[in-house]
Amino acid sequence: MAEKKQNIFVWFVEIFCKQWIWKGFFVNLVYKKFDKWKAWIYLAPTLVLLAIFTIWPIFNTVKMAFTVYWDPEAPIYEYDENGEIVYDDDTGKLAIDGYGMYKGYSIILDIAGETDFEFGFNNFKEILNYDGFFRIMQNTIILCVATVPISTFLALLIAVCLNAIKPLRRFLQTIFFMPYVTNSIAIGMVFAAMFNIVGVNEHNLDLSKSLGIINNILGVFGVDPVNWINQGSGYWANIAVMIIYIVWNALPFKILILLGGLQSVNKQYYEAAKIDSTPPWRVFTRITVPLLSPMITYVVITGFIGGFKEYTSIVGIFGETMQPPGAEIGTPRLQTMVGYIYDKLGDSEGIASAAAILLFILIFAVTLVNLRVSKKNTHY
Amino acid sequence: MKKIIALLLLVVMCFTMVACVGGNTPTPNPPAGNGGNGGEQGGNGNNGGGETPAPEKVRYDVPEIGYDGSEVEITFSHTMGENLRAELDMAIARFNELFPNITVTHTQIGGYNEVRDQIKNELAGGNQPNIAYCYPDHVALYNLSKKVVPLDNFIESKIVVNREDGTTEILGLTDEQVADFIPGYYKEGTVFDAAGTMYTMPMSKSTEVLYYNKTFFDQHDIKAPTTWAEMEAVCAQIQEILKNDNNPDNDTNKILGYDSESNWFITMCEQYGSNYTSTDKDNHFLFNNKTNRDFVKMFRGWYEKGYVTTQELYGAYTSGLFTELDPTKPNIYMCIGSTGGAQHQAPLAKDGQQTFEVGIAPLPQVDPENPKAISQGPSLCIFDQDNKQEVVASWLFVKFITTDAEFQASFSKVSGYMPVIKSVMDISVYSDWINSANGNSKDGVIALATKIALENTEYYFVSPAFNGSSKARDQVGELIKYCFQTPLAGSGFETVDELILDAFKKAINECLADI
Amino acid sequence: MSESKIVTMKEKDMKKVASAQKVMGVLGKVFLYLFLCVMALIVVFPFYWMIISSLKTVPEYEQAIPTLFPETIVWSNYSEAIKTANLYNLFKNTVIVGVVSTILSLVITVITAFVFARLEFKGRDALFALLLATMMIPGELFTITNYVTVTEWGWVGAGVTPFEGYAVLIVPFLVSVFYIYLLRQNFMQIPNELYLAAKVDGTKDLKYLWKVMIPLALPTLISITILKMMGAWNSYVWPRLVTTKEYHLITNGLRTAFQDANTGNANIPQQMAAVTLVSIPLFLVFIFLRKYIMKGVSRSGIKG
Repeated sequence: MAEKKQNIFVWFVEIFCKQWIWKGFFVNLVYKKFDKWKAWIYLAPTLVLLAIFTIWPIFNTVKMAFTVYWDPEAPIYEYDENGEIVYDDDTGKLAIDGYGMYKGYSIILDIAGETDFEFGFNNFKEILNYDGFFRIMQNTIILCVATVPISTFLALLIAVCLNAIKPLRRFLQTIFFMPYVTNSIAIGMVFAAMFNIVGVNEHNLDLSKSLGIINNILGVFGVDPVNWINQGSGYWANIAVMIIYIVWNALPFKILILLGGLQSVNKQYYEAAKIDSTPPWRVFTRITVPLLSPMITYVVITGFIGGFKEYTSIVGIFGETMQPPGAEIGTPRLQTMVGYIYDKLGDSEGIASAAAILLFILIFAVTLVNLRVSKKNTHY
Repeated sequence: MKKIIALLLLVVMCFTMVACVGGNTPTPNPPAGNGGNGGEQGGNGNNGGGETPAPEKVRYDVPEIGYDGSEVEITFSHTMGENLRAELDMAIARFNELFPNITVTHTQIGGYNEVRDQIKNELAGGNQPNIAYCYPDHVALYNLSKKVVPLDNFIESKIVVNREDGTTEILGLTDEQVADFIPGYYKEGTVFDAAGTMYTMPMSKSTEVLYYNKTFFDQHDIKAPTTWAEMEAVCAQIQEILKNDNNPDNDTNKILGYDSESNWFITMCEQYGSNYTSTDKDNHFLFNNKTNRDFVKMFRGWYEKGYVTTQELYGAYTSGLFTELDPTKPNIYMCIGSTGGAQHQAPLAKDGQQTFEVGIAPLPQVDPENPKAISQGPSLCIFDQDNKQEVVASWLFVKFITTDAEFQASFSKVSGYMPVIKSVMDISVYSDWINSANGNSKDGVIALATKIALENTEYYFVSPAFNGSSKARDQVGELIKYCFQTPLAGSGFETVDELILDAFKKAINECLADI
Repeated sequence: MSESKIVTMKEKDMKKVASAQKVMGVLGKVFLYLFLCVMALIVVFPFYWMIISSLKTVPEYEQAIPTLFPETIVWSNYSEAIKTANLYNLFKNTVIVGVVSTILSLVITVITAFVFARLEFKGRDALFALLLATMMIPGELFTITNYVTVTEWGWVGAGVTPFEGYAVLIVPFLVSVFYIYLLRQNFMQIPNELYLAAKVDGTKDLKYLWKVMIPLALPTLISITILKMMGAWNSYVWPRLVTTKEYHLITNGLRTAFQDANTGNANIPQQMAAVTLVSIPLFLVFIFLRKYIMKGVSRSGIKG
């Protein structure tokens, strides 16, 4: 019975998918003039590829995200009034409260063909109940809230400065764009090497072979060495490194967009300001920023989207453990949504899909909020 | 922009509708994964309940004609580096003299985790290889798909198979062949269910031993510790020696390095006889108990005294500290590491001479009467295919490389892993090599490690394997790292016990969240 | 008289103000350049560090007080790096995937953008909006299913043919909505009258596309080419998932190659040498084609 339901489900999705793409094709093919349907022929390769590698995955992801199965033998453990699991301190055995639980879709179980899958919301519940979900959100929000304003502000400043000079502009512009063309894993490794302390023993930085170039530079200014990314380093030190790396990485794109915007701004505004001898700061806040507001909106939105999808930059610096050794038990200290999705792929594709959908909803919501906010402040 | 958003919302809504239509079963309120509070026995449990019959081995239908001599191509996914692949190629050449129609293609996928991930995905696409390097927990995962071939019917088979050279062999293993396996290794194939179905054949193994600086130990008249109590005394003694030495370079030195945090935890559970994990479906994760927390606390004390460091806490394999040539850099005097890494425990100076003699001793124990050391290293599993001849051919090849003394011997010499059969010692090249063991050359150290390991095969244990056992392994490794290096001050806990208990609870929760 | 005085006063004032402005201007300029140069140094420093680290010996690299320039230059780090990371093979794969996917993707992008920019058909705008909508969905969402799809086609795993090995890295990414959008915007700027006139002349669509639109949109096409190549150069997650070692791309080989499998000690100078080698082609492309890259990136931005 459940299998049949499953089949109807798949059938429905497939028909829907096909109809939706091909209906237009056939209608146009049969009824319209050549000029009208040739477009569809030109589009055919694109649409086929899109259907296979974009549209179908979307449907399938949604399907997997809402697919669960009932495992009648899965133990349910007992929790005390503090929400802590009850266990026997001598044997380590957990107290069992009953059996039977919904679990997430898994492809490998699906091929064995012995499990009845059904529709359910449990995958989403699983994620929202997950202990580490808070930490994932915390990391994401901290990284977004810190990197987006810093990089936008810096980029704006650099762009305005670049716009104000003539000699060397080309050269400097090229330099500022360089990080854009690099490989984020490769340069992540360079950053890790710069912040790395070689041969550190416990918390005593005196016992190290090399403090890393960043600590050496700080030492010149009389700052004590900081344990940035090694064993025993603090959360905020780790976050600081990530912020520096992400800002460094994000600058070129933002500078480019903003500089492009500045160059297309009508010079008359500035000439008017010059005649009024308006101070530079006021020119910046009253003319430059409002005129650039569409571009600023754009870089802020893309910055937030990037921030929610942060993953490779953290791998570049901390490796796939996503934290300094032994920093946390359970969820890695710098875990992000994308890292969580890849982690979950190994356990249940259903939960991974649900997480991917949650990520999409989050990005979508943040983008909407951004647009709403910027609409109020944007001058066209 | 508005249009796009509106459209998008519509699309999202459509998805949801489709999903709803697709599965409009009234579902009983699903208990939440973690905070599960009493879920009623609702769903259609098709095979749950009822009395459980005596466990029976899972059987595979071996084709009655055995291998029919047809041309088959089999694939083998592994992690072997270049040197080992060369050894494997030679073995394949010799195998093809017997069975020229079986073509074996083998690929290095990457590390063990990459092999696992890739095969899991290949299973999803029905594209699994014929043979794969595996660890027990990988097999537990693969077997969710029911595509791992149970080997008992092959092992017991008496079907006669014709070889190219006119001789014959039986498809199964002869009694002599079974007896030739080192029993602990052979039994590893049966840890997957209560009935003891054999799913894997051992390929090459390693264990952990204690490497120590024999020159230094002899100089100060110290004996290699055999128990953890002795280990503590030796650490204290060496620290005292270093203090009295008044050499500032020694301030950075530690005494002992333990390479694998996870192995340390698991081995200690086994040595204390306390629980770690079990294959019992109801209660997989048992490692949060008093005994375990107590030994973690004890070793935390060692760490704080500067006795010990581990691979990840140091930032690299501690063999690097052990073999450090520069006296101004951090050093250690003992290192517990895999026999498979013996080649890296030789302190070779630029001139090719060692700076000190390496001594190797068995792993320190809690109870010397009941010694335990972990057994690791890849096994081989075979996957089911539509063409049953491929499965038979895979078995023939697996049987060949696990029972062929010549291959086992040369593979062991190159890899530093231990052979899985005893008859390797009949090969004079190999026994000579073992007998040449010494602590003064790289090759000698490898041979010495292998020799010590082979002398103590009764020590070996394997931890239970089930889907999720690798999570437990990861988490206990994290526990060691976290509990060692987290200072009490600023942790929000009043005592070390509370800090450790909290970490253990979190580790259990993480294990449960992932199943 | 008084009037002339006033005038001179004004002139004086004006001069004063002007010279004050000049001083301010010069000071401002100095400050501007100073700021820009400091920022530029910060931006460039990692690259500098990467290159000099790649030329040091391990002991020199690990010195407590690092040298800003290597005492002994060790070129052999490079040859060792090429050997250790099997860079030759990684380069080869990356170039093959980059070139083939760029060419195919350009063809598809041009035709699709043309259709959406010039041809009239029912549902065009809705379809284009839908295409744009897919841009908002995180790629992670596609990975899972696409993996199953390519595995079902047998494009993954041990023993794949070279065709399959490369196809699995190319085909799923041939259609990029972003580039289609970019090029369509460009095509839209070309006056429609040209097309209508060509049509009256009986010129075929594809000929018109080839003769008129492509030349006019050439800068955008070059930008797309470069961005696409860079994409191949930087992709990490998908190749890691679908390829065996034989078909790994450049990033996959980098992260782990310099960790000794048994000791875990990273040889950082060698690692940096490999990273430098990987970055050089990107820099060369960038230096020679800077204009197009910047144009491509900024154009995508302004119209967003």
